Amino acid sequence: MNRSRHRFPITPIGWLLLLVPVLTAFLGPLVAGSTRSEGGSLSPPGPEHPLGTDELGRDVLALALSGGTSIVTMAAAALLLSYLIGVPIALVIAGGRRRWADRLVLRLLDFLLALPGLLVLLVLAATGWRGTTTLVLAIATLQLPAVVRIARTAALSPGTSTAVESMLMQGEGRARIRLGYLGRSVLGPVLVDAASRLSLVLYLMASANFLGLGLASSATDWAVLIELNRDALFIQPWAVTVPALLLVSLCTGVNLVVDRSLSNRRTVRR
Amino acid sequence: MTLAYVPRRVAVAVLQILGVAVAVFALSALLPGDTAVVILGKHGTPEQIEALRQRLGLDEPFVRRLLTWFGGLAHGDLGTSLLTGAPVTAELADGLATTAVLTGVALAVIVPLALLIGVTTGLRQGSRLDRAVNSVIVVLDSIPEFALGLLLVALFSLRLGWLPATAAGLSGTSLATHPAVLVLPVVVLVCKQLCALARQIRIGVAEANTAEYTRHVRTHGLRESTVLFKHVLPNAAGPSVQQLARTVDGLLGGVVVVEALFALPGLGSGFVDAVMARDLPTVQGYALVFAGTTVTVNLLADIAAYRLVPRHRSAS
Repeated sequence: MNRSRHRFPITPIGWLLLLVPVLTAFLGPLVAGSTRSEGGSLSPPGPEHPLGTDELGRDVLALALSGGTSIVTMAAAALLLSYLIGVPIALVIAGGRRRWADRLVLRLLDFLLALPGLLVLLVLAATGWRGTTTLVLAIATLQLPAVVRIARTAALSPGTSTAVESMLMQGEGRARIRLGYLGRSVLGPVLVDAASRLSLVLYLMASANFLGLGLASSATDWAVLIELNRDALFIQPWAVTVPALLLVSLCTGVNLVVDRSLSNRRTVRR
Repeated sequence: MTLAYVPRRVAVAVLQILGVAVAVFALSALLPGDTAVVILGKHGTPEQIEALRQRLGLDEPFVRRLLTWFGGLAHGDLGTSLLTGAPVTAELADGLATTAVLTGVALAVIVPLALLIGVTTGLRQGSRLDRAVNSVIVVLDSIPEFALGLLLVALFSLRLGWLPATAAGLSGTSLATHPAVLVLPVVVLVCKQLCALARQIRIGVAEANTAEYTRHVRTHGLRESTVLFKHVLPNAAGPSVQQLARTVDGLLGGVVVVEALFALPGLGSGFVDAVMARDLPTVQGYALVFAGTTVTVNLLADIAAYRLVPRHRSAS
């Protein structure tokens, strides 16, 4: 108790860093003005455009307000997809009788685990696989090995296997056990993993959009805006720094909040 | 035991590289609209496209093309770039010099810094210093390199005018003569890659420091420095060396973004350029180099970790 009084308020700062970009992403589009090209390109801040205009003559404030939705949605979609595919795979191989299937799936996934994410996305783009759908699918696939491993380990924990054995002896069906009982018991570890994986997915998604592997270059997305306007950094810095700050705030906020809540969890358990 | 482990591990590594090479080749074979169409653009007539397909050998079956490519690879020939007409290997060698300088300087900063942070916080786990350092590191870890890089450029080049914003016109060894150019790229790389390594060292040191065997050694009245260097650090080394391999690998991946950002003509920006131009022979060459470095680095780390950990040493 005494110690916490002197502690630096990390958790509130984390929430602040997280909420500003998230609220901007979801409420921003409602209040944003038009993002169509109106004024001259790269005009400095003035009464008409509080943050000036970008390379294409669009209002930077309006762009910043409406540019967060895509990254948040795409990251959430990729994360959700990886668990929707990964957890059932883990439950099937963990609860199954065939040990070789378990080992085969793990070996195949280990191969995926060794591939650096951004390089995979670049190779995909080079061979004609680019665009939003590909990006979401590819990033979800890249998370699969880790997701399957975590869910499998949770499903195989000693306490769980004893319970499963006794349910089998009581004549419960395997499918029911896998989806019903095991599914519920892996929920905790999976949620913890999802929280810490979110920052990784956000990072990959933003970097991919920055390199032009996902959204089109005319899209209103923070990462795309940064890429589009970065040559004009010295003429109209707001067009780059505002989306960059929002993106940095989002990534650090997620990481800080997750890290704090996980370490609080550990302390409480101990 | 070590003898059996090393050849088996090398065999796996070779298979992994071959696997990546085949996978990249297969991906480009599945390409909707092939390389000939890409080169000629939308204006090529069907006859021109057909002639170019024949000249590039694209009309041959997939397996034969794959074998031809592997045949060239055996002689150190990766084909010629569709964009510049130069041999792919020459382009790779140019890029490698710049990336090696960048990665080398970054590692020279990261390794001592991570050791310092990891060991000091690991020995004082749970202290205020530990928590503060941990929070800073967590924050740095999550920031995408391009956003951090541009914010640093905005601050140090634009506002303060202390450092150059790009390294345009410099490459390879000429970079070493302009250290100011390297400061911002290296800072960005360090921020991103320091975290995981420092954390791993911290966990390893904290665990070894509180372990039963360390307590046992301490009761024998050994000096604290002897305990640290002879017992705590060697036992923390195994997982840390493997994390170091991932750090080196991450540096290469991160270099892609940082090089594109600061106009450094290394492997990363060369790769991005090749991707954008759909220059497939070059992309395949780069993919092979990246796969090769990833696999080699992990191989070396596995063997080093195997030899370093006292448990394995006494077992063999």
